[in-house]
Amino acid sequence: MQTVLNLLEVEPIRLLISFGAVLFLVLNLAAILTMAERKVSGYIHLRYGPNRVGPRGLLQPAADVFKLFTKENVSPGRSDLWVFLGAPIAMFIPAALVWLVVPFAPDAVVADLNVAILFFVAITSIGALGVVMAGYGSRSAFSLLGALRGAAQMISYEVPLILSLLGVVMLTGSLSLVDVVQAQGDTIWTWYFLPQLPMFITFYISGIAEVKRVPFDLPEGESEIVGGFMIEYSGMTWALIQAAEFASMAVISAITVTLFLGGWQPPLPFLDLGPFNWVWFGIKTALIMFTFQWIRWSVPRLRMDQLMDLGWKVLVPMTLIWLFVTAGLMLLFPSLGA
Amino acid sequence: MPQLGQGILKGMGVTLQHLFGQKITRQYPEYKRDLPERSRGMLTVDMDRCIACLQCMRICPDHCISIEQTKRDADGSGKPKPYPVGFVIDDSRCMYCSLCVEVCPVNCIYHTEEFEAQAYNRLELARQFGERPVDPRVDPKPTVKKKKKATAKKAPRTVERAVTEKDDAA
Amino acid sequence: MLGEERRAEHEGALTEPPSSRLVSPDIRDEFGLETIDMNMGPQHPAMHGLLRLILELDGETVVRCDPVMGYLHRCQEKIAENRMYPAVIPMTDRLDYFANMHNEHGYCLAVEDLLDVEIPPRAEYIRVLMCELMRLASHIPSIGFLMLELGAFTPILYAFRERERIQSIFEAVTGARMMFHYIRIGGVKADLPPDIPQKIWDYIESLEAHFQRDFVDLIQDNEIFISRTRNVGKMSQEQAVEMGVTGPALRCTGVDFDVRLDYPYSVYPELQFEVITDTAGDVEASYRVRIAECLQSIQIIKQCLEQMPEGEVLGDTGRRIRPAEGEGFGRVESPRGEYAVHVVSDGSDTPYRVHYRDPSFCNMQLLQEIVPGHYLPDIMPIMGLIDPVSGGWDK
Repeated sequence: MQTVLNLLEVEPIRLLISFGAVLFLVLNLAAILTMAERKVSGYIHLRYGPNRVGPRGLLQPAADVFKLFTKENVSPGRSDLWVFLGAPIAMFIPAALVWLVVPFAPDAVVADLNVAILFFVAITSIGALGVVMAGYGSRSAFSLLGALRGAAQMISYEVPLILSLLGVVMLTGSLSLVDVVQAQGDTIWTWYFLPQLPMFITFYISGIAEVKRVPFDLPEGESEIVGGFMIEYSGMTWALIQAAEFASMAVISAITVTLFLGGWQPPLPFLDLGPFNWVWFGIKTALIMFTFQWIRWSVPRLRMDQLMDLGWKVLVPMTLIWLFVTAGLMLLFPSLGA
Repeated sequence: MPQLGQGILKGMGVTLQHLFGQKITRQYPEYKRDLPERSRGMLTVDMDRCIACLQCMRICPDHCISIEQTKRDADGSGKPKPYPVGFVIDDSRCMYCSLCVEVCPVNCIYHTEEFEAQAYNRLELARQFGERPVDPRVDPKPTVKKKKKATAKKAPRTVERAVTEKDDAA
Repeated sequence: MLGEERRAEHEGALTEPPSSRLVSPDIRDEFGLETIDMNMGPQHPAMHGLLRLILELDGETVVRCDPVMGYLHRCQEKIAENRMYPAVIPMTDRLDYFANMHNEHGYCLAVEDLLDVEIPPRAEYIRVLMCELMRLASHIPSIGFLMLELGAFTPILYAFRERERIQSIFEAVTGARMMFHYIRIGGVKADLPPDIPQKIWDYIESLEAHFQRDFVDLIQDNEIFISRTRNVGKMSQEQAVEMGVTGPALRCTGVDFDVRLDYPYSVYPELQFEVITDTAGDVEASYRVRIAECLQSIQIIKQCLEQMPEGEVLGDTGRRIRPAEGEGFGRVESPRGEYAVHVVSDGSDTPYRVHYRDPSFCNMQLLQEIVPGHYLPDIMPIMGLIDPVSGGWDK
């Protein structure tokens, strides 16, 4: 037993085992999120979600995964097979890699990089590649449109995403996510979402756009270009794309919580749970994911030009203005920064 | 953006209210609701009363009823009368319009409250009520009395009467 | 040039062919630009039925949009030539399956035009009551479908909850939830069951209580809805009248045409209601018109329930319905527009010819004229403006 724990101190083994654990968590989270989404949507629609498989439907993800494993992976005849089959992998890997830097609890990070925010930004940008590969490899008119829209949307919403992080970076003085969490105090009014409210809103909206959820799900526009870039996928390839989408939704929620909502900090100091603070992290992430789903079932989707207008004409100026405001306030009140 | 998103937030408030509201799903088959008394379910025939007048066969718009008619003295009165020796209702065609029910002079065909018409084979959906099975695949070709001109209850509107020699003479 | 400027350029130009309005031919030749020929095929989750749209796209802009109909054609008009007059009524139920009562009503008016039948007043009131309930059951899902195609999945489920409740009222009255076969030549089939007027009152009061919350608060002020539907599918009054559009699609441009008041039938002259028009001829205007028409229908239903006289419900048409030679015409205001039936009789038991003028078929011309110049995602809100039903345009 002691040798096992000693082994966990050795660096490459610790990294691999903890990353394996996090990956296991992420895959299960993707499966559970499909169920949660259907239940939440059911309750909003005045119906029960799936409630036949298992007690209150809790085994539905297992049934879904089993079905998808046994389904045939159809690929179009004229498709470019390597690109077509590589696209789901290219979509899943960035979504999984970002979990390397997410701090779950004090001292519970897979990789405590001191450039974690830069790592997050860089890896998230790769997500656009998978969308273009999927649309290009399918060689169908609908998927081409979906891929073009997806590429345009994801690339143009990275700008407000990154700009809204900069306020947090200025206030913390470091690019490390662990430092960001610790710099936010352990009371709810010292977390960064209050002094950085426009940045929080921008990051949240850009996060929804990066994950391609309603109201930004035009790449997968279900009403006109049924399925968009993933129209030709079925079976396990489609399941991997869905897992990638849910994993990236979870990771955007996790990063939002880390940057703006205090990470694993409890809202009030007396609620501190010590090493079990990952419970607070989990609760906050689940709350953000619930709001993603709540918005999904409440609003229609934006058209492409309106989406671009929102990104470039509203969110970017707002973040730039607030950046200057933050910098100005930090000059006037030097106690604000680190 | 003219507004700051109040409309979206108002809509989200409505959705949240429904989230905690009561569900309206009724879980069939554990719950089966009581059907109103006029419900039109699957058809059934009381063969003891049927007089084989073939009215239901003639009126059915989908040709789903097929009757084989013979003459038989069924009630011992000495006179052979029309008797339905074969009667088939094809559920795969019936559209539950209730025309046959209304036109039957002895009220022997009527709707039940059953609506679950399922079978593994399409021919099983054709229910036989008589002694001899009738093939449902043959179209009954009910005869419709045509071409008997009506006595004018209402003056014809757009038919112009051609001027004939009789008019000239009169 | 994008968006509104581009569309403002070709507002109201009916005489030019659509493709010439957009990328000019010399630019196209110089840069070697091509358009994409795409098919929004008959198998599509959001096509209001089975409709094939042949699209020519210039990037995201639609250059040409040709609807191809006929995937649900069931030869209803030909079948009616071989069925006796009362047996055609269940066939008319199945034309525009969101407005069954109006279909039956139109056909019965046409045949009663050929015959000499006196329809009892109670039957007239019941017909109007059923038709207005059907209008509610059609407009509310129309709004739901509009939102479904815009991407919001919730309003359609709230809409179908209302439709289910109305359908259970219909089931208690007529015996079936959807294909009623209730309005007959000379009246209606049977009187309302004794507990139904109270049930309808209770339902109408509960609908009024949450109509505002479920269908107006959720949708009308939503900024995304406004930006998706304002100035989309904008047409002028001249365009709409020239294309033969009727119903809410026409009234949302400002033309005050409603068959219930312009060619009055049944007991509509005795009921107090307004014709709802709106001046902006776009999708948002059609949404507002439909919401207001729902509220008007609620008023008409209340008046019918209060004013309904006693009496019998089926006039005397004689033993056989065999009209004299001639032609009969009946028109009603269905939720989609003017629905008319033209029956030609040759004196026998079956009609010689039945023709249905269906509003969905005639309103579909809008697609070919209005859509070019819009973006691809705008096609669906424009279909929401027209609100066609595939049983209607295909018969």
